[in-house]
Amino acid sequence: MVWHRGVYAPRKGAIFHLWRALDARIVIPSETGVESVWIPAHRTDTLPSDMTTTDHDPDRTADVLIVGAGASGAAVAASLSEASFDVVCIEQGHWQDSFKYPSADPDFDLKAISSWSINPNKRRLPVDYPTNVEDSAVDPVMFNGVGGSTIMWVAHTPRLHPSDFRVKSQDDVADDWPISYEDLEPWYDLNDHVMGCSGISGDPANPPRSTRPMPPIPIGRDGEMIAGAFDRLGWHWWPSDAYINSTRYGEGRDACNFCGHNMLGCYQRAKASTDLTYWPRAIDQGTELVTGARVREITTDSTGRATGVNYLDAEGIDRHRSARAVVMAANGIGTPRLLLLSDSEKSPNGLSNSSGLVGKNLMFHMFGGASGVFPNHPDPWVGPVANIILSQEFYETDSDRGFLRGYTFQMGRGQGPGAIARGVAGQRAPWGNEHHAILERRFRNTLSLGCIGDDLPEEHNSVTLDKRLTDSSGLPAPKITYRVSENSRALLDHAIAQGTKVLEEAGATEILINPQSRETGWHLLGTARMGNDPERSVVDKNGQSHDVDNLFIVDGSVFVTGGAVNPTPTIQAIALRTADYIINERGDLKA
Amino acid sequence: MVIKPDADLLSAALDRVVPPVGDLPGAGGMGLSEEVIKRCSADDRFNGALNTVLEALPSPNDFMALDDGGRDGALRAVESSHPAAFGLWLDIVYTIYYMQPDVHARLNWHGRSPQPDGNEMPPWDESILSVIRQREPFWRKV
Repeated sequence: MVWHRGVYAPRKGAIFHLWRALDARIVIPSETGVESVWIPAHRTDTLPSDMTTTDHDPDRTADVLIVGAGASGAAVAASLSEASFDVVCIEQGHWQDSFKYPSADPDFDLKAISSWSINPNKRRLPVDYPTNVEDSAVDPVMFNGVGGSTIMWVAHTPRLHPSDFRVKSQDDVADDWPISYEDLEPWYDLNDHVMGCSGISGDPANPPRSTRPMPPIPIGRDGEMIAGAFDRLGWHWWPSDAYINSTRYGEGRDACNFCGHNMLGCYQRAKASTDLTYWPRAIDQGTELVTGARVREITTDSTGRATGVNYLDAEGIDRHRSARAVVMAANGIGTPRLLLLSDSEKSPNGLSNSSGLVGKNLMFHMFGGASGVFPNHPDPWVGPVANIILSQEFYETDSDRGFLRGYTFQMGRGQGPGAIARGVAGQRAPWGNEHHAILERRFRNTLSLGCIGDDLPEEHNSVTLDKRLTDSSGLPAPKITYRVSENSRALLDHAIAQGTKVLEEAGATEILINPQSRETGWHLLGTARMGNDPERSVVDKNGQSHDVDNLFIVDGSVFVTGGAVNPTPTIQAIALRTADYIINERGDLKA
Repeated sequence: MVIKPDADLLSAALDRVVPPVGDLPGAGGMGLSEEVIKRCSADDRFNGALNTVLEALPSPNDFMALDDGGRDGALRAVESSHPAAFGLWLDIVYTIYYMQPDVHARLNWHGRSPQPDGNEMPPWDESILSVIRQREPFWRKV
């Protein structure tokens, strides 16, 4: 077995700088026999919510201006600032205090459907923007704040498969990515360590990979019930990779205490969110983070190059920030919206839109599945809600199934009685004389198998600017157009049938079918896709705009196809890779 | 703004939506109508749903004059004519009902907030992988 240090840092770049900022070392054996060095986060006594960045000159020209402080923006900020770039990030939301998350509030269940709803159209906070979903089968969900949607995600962190990058070559559908799984692998590994991944090697459905920094999250008695059913059917399953601590890891971050509500923000700080992981590093290294500020336009000069942004500050005052480069990290809806808002005489259809593809090819991942009601009280409110086990038995294309590509099963737990009453598998408990009997049958007895299906790009699924709806600043809101394709419908139907088999094998006595969830548009993908051909893509393989050489996109917009897994590790790996490109190949952007 | 007569109407409706069970009265009998009104007043979306449902029901006197079957019929009519508002109203009613300590006791559920106490993490048992570890890699090569 070979032990060596620096496998992630073959040259001076972002990762080298990330390492330099850290303070301790652990050697990790890898599954491939190559071993690598991981250095966990340095300690500070500062809560992220206390951080301020007030000692910067707002009139300077920064090297790089990032729009959005979520999963990808944070990774880019940390990488670039640790490589001595002068970085400013503008975020429309605010810092969150984990001790004020609603999970410790007696009213947590009420907040989950109002001020802490995952759906910005229900939450309706001033920092949110509305979306017009009249013509969409899926409602987009997101969180606006430092950390972005990692504040409210479940932190289920599988990777794309190598085949996901080659769907045109392999299945003659959609397009190949201009990068491969191997191109992203070192960045996946780095991100696993910075965010903190719990998991275990040896999954036969995925390529070998380096050892995770923490052992898996135990799957619990209910997880063992479902896993046993997969075993008896001879089908694949594996403990989910999760950016949730199974042990103490990172600054001030405890192990998960199995509270069961990881979507309400993690009071325990066991769930990774970038306000806890990348942002302390970025700010330590000098990144300026401006919160409560809504970017309304990317500005350009007479040649069409980006010069910075115009934004409304927390008081609503119109301001400008100058930068040598702009990085968009505002998610697959926010980024195309802002590009479309940044039209000009030179770019009448929006910035970086010579291809006409900005906002097109929106992908969400179709989500549906089956829930089983069990007679033996698995008490499924204990433990992470949806990162327990997964199955990728049906991930790859099999033409006999009647659809292209495939899906991942993701086991889900139930929650308290209020959530059960509001709906299992999208089915609200009936009111009236039947109510109590049905509630009692489902409560403490319901487990689900959700299907995340590969969502292939279609140009008519899109983000455009709404002609009437505006946000609280008066800026046009995004209009979402999205319909479920025949391929997706066939895929979901297959998943529901197979999921039913698993649940019945596990002992379920009642099956509830969820044909397709509406409020599951977490994964905002494809609306500024990457590619080698400027006529068929918006950015190149490094995330650099084909049209504007100092404009980069690092969020889910750049996905060429959706794959069939939760996308955040891939988004962050892409962001780290783009940062490395800027550091090593775009020295012209540094003062 | 919901006025007092509507609170009485709401209470009667709540008793049909979540009727008595065991030794617990229905949601109306538990006095939850004031709680529902208060919570809805803090959220325009919920308040709109509440007012839509109450306005679509028969007048308070007419509703009170109905027997249980008649009240259920009136509620079903509103559910049919205003499905979105009725569903949202049910969500808030259910949520508030299942926040009540007496209801938790009947369900034998701890009812506390998820944090800070949480639950105990069970140990990781690698033997559960014994079957799947025998499977050969099957991911698709490119």
